[in-house]
Amino acid sequence: MTLQTPPETRSKQDSPAALLKLRGISKRYGDFAAVEPLDLDIFPRDFVAVLGPSGCGKTTLLRIIGGFVSPTTGTVEIDGRDVTKIGPEKRPTNTVFQGYGLFPHMTVRQNVGYGLRLQKKTRAEIDDRVAEALRQSRLTEFADRSVAALSGGQQQRVALARALILRPKVLLLDEPLAALDLKLRHTMQDELRRLHQEFGGTFVFVTHDQGEALSLANRIAVMNAGRIEQEGNAESIYAAPATRFVATFIGDANLLQGERHGGQVKLEAGPAFADAGPDGAITAVVRPKAVKLLAAGEGADVQIAGMVEDVVYLGDHIKCSVKIMGEQQIIVHLDAAIAPRPVVGEQVNLGWPLLQQRVVVA
Amino acid sequence: MSARTNILWAVVAVAFIVFLLSPIVLLVVFSFTSRTLTNFPIEGLTFRWWQEMVVTRQFWPSFANSLIIGSCVAVVSAAVGTLAAMGLAGMPKRRASIIMGALTLPVMLPPLVLGVSLLSFYVSLGLKLGLATVIPSHLLFAQPFVILIVHARMINFDHRVVESARDLGATPLQAFLTVTLPIIRPVVIGAALIAAALSIDDFIITFFTIGTGNTLPTLVWGMIRTGLTPSVNAIGTLILLLTIGSTVIALKLTRYRG
Ligand SMILES: Nc1ncnc2c1ncn2[C@@H]1O[C@H](COP(=O)(O)OP(=O)(O)O)[C@@H](O)[C@H]1O
Ligand SMILES: [Mg+2]
Repeated sequence: MTLQTPPETRSKQDSPAALLKLRGISKRYGDFAAVEPLDLDIFPRDFVAVLGPSGCGKTTLLRIIGGFVSPTTGTVEIDGRDVTKIGPEKRPTNTVFQGYGLFPHMTVRQNVGYGLRLQKKTRAEIDDRVAEALRQSRLTEFADRSVAALSGGQQQRVALARALILRPKVLLLDEPLAALDLKLRHTMQDELRRLHQEFGGTFVFVTHDQGEALSLANRIAVMNAGRIEQEGNAESIYAAPATRFVATFIGDANLLQGERHGGQVKLEAGPAFADAGPDGAITAVVRPKAVKLLAAGEGADVQIAGMVEDVVYLGDHIKCSVKIMGEQQIIVHLDAAIAPRPVVGEQVNLGWPLLQQRVVVA
Repeated sequence: MSARTNILWAVVAVAFIVFLLSPIVLLVVFSFTSRTLTNFPIEGLTFRWWQEMVVTRQFWPSFANSLIIGSCVAVVSAAVGTLAAMGLAGMPKRRASIIMGALTLPVMLPPLVLGVSLLSFYVSLGLKLGLATVIPSHLLFAQPFVILIVHARMINFDHRVVESARDLGATPLQAFLTVTLPIIRPVVIGAALIAAALSIDDFIITFFTIGTGNTLPTLVWGMIRTGLTPSVNAIGTLILLLTIGSTVIALKLTRYRG
């Protein structure tokens, strides 16, 4: 590999023991594999995003952790205990469901106190803890309203308070922000970050929105078709995607097909360079921001000539589409202050350093 | 459409409604007539026939029987119907509709056929006819309605609330008692009241399966064999009140708009 990956924030040796361990977990529905056998370790205080397109098996995976779906194979271990066979009510996890699943026949206060009532806590303790939870979630003024009378954002806060009041070892959230409008989504992102910090617990959330994953999570597991294709911190996944899918799913990426032969890569678009690895089809991945417009006489590790097709000013950067050989386009993000700006129809030379490029198989 | 045809239609509609409702209205009105025959003209109004009704031999036992049978049918059909409806709601649609079709079969049969076959069934088993044979017989035709009504609620039931309850520490039974049941309770009660109304109202099947006892409808039948006094109208009005009353409450609770 030719790209320097940012150091992983945690190496397996010096890490504390994993809080949640999935081993060989899979789920089949008839002939259809919703989740292919996979392993995943989640550590205390992590905020993990399971990121993937719709239908890739994220919810199924989350429900396996929560105890709502029993896996076809594999084990779920939480805090050193194998919980694979036990019901959700006995697991140290709590869930914020997609759509929240609030109890419509109860007030906000009763919803939040439900778990404690089941634990047969004293009346005084329940009242105290519920009042505190309502205060922390800024729900005090709605305490005695029916949950049906709340807005989406408020319902979400009730669902969070109801789960967090039980101090779960792992909080599971299924697309927690998907149902909210854009503005509320940003507020709730901040709120979730704040809760994670204040609460100090371990959060696992499922999302199809890469922006959400990048901004909330310190670890991201990228899922595709029932598999975890890559797991790591946000920086390493963005900078060093392990597969073509990860590269396209997280951030914008230019993909260039090519062929590797004896450590020598030849891209269909022309350029060739050395890159160790098995022979066969490869894809070179380069982020729009890494591509430079080369001045006359300037060189770069990888160079491609092309014609400017489109230039769009986007405030903080300029997005420039360049057509290269074979009808392919390369997107370049240029500094907004660049002078002179490229103009449509202009012939340009693009280039980037090998260090900023990632070569993945196929 | 011209104004004339509009008026014509209105007249037809009103006539039709009057035709449908007049027997019921007459039944009620004649229970207050001061004459001894249930025909016009009504010369004055009196509670005499209502007083006569309550001193009729067999009135109180029949009234009690109707209430006992009606409430047993309501309670049993609510319990069984809720469990059955929940089970059916969890099944694939096709299988559920086949099973429901089988369960509703007794409703499709002519009551006379049902009554006769129940009677011969009980007799062949050597059972003594009485409340214990009437109640299961009523369940046979009232139960399907409860299942259908509760099932309609269960297929729209948001199962996430049950999962939430489990997630927050409830066992399956606790989740049912604290979440599912409170949410569907109005519908279950409504369905039970409809079952009670069907039971209180029933004559044919009761007639075949009750043996020597009476319910209000069989009492009415016995009375009109000896002559139609306005007391019969009073009992009829009472049955009407019981069944319409429970149906109105039921419709309110199930929010059925049909
Ligand atoms: N109970 C089920 N029966 C059959 N197929 C299911 C069931 N639950 C989920 N699936 C299938 O498994 C796949 C993954 O579903 P899900 O985990 O909900 O995906 P995601 O949350 O990533 O959108 C989907 O194709 C879905 O149709
Ligand atoms: Mg999902």
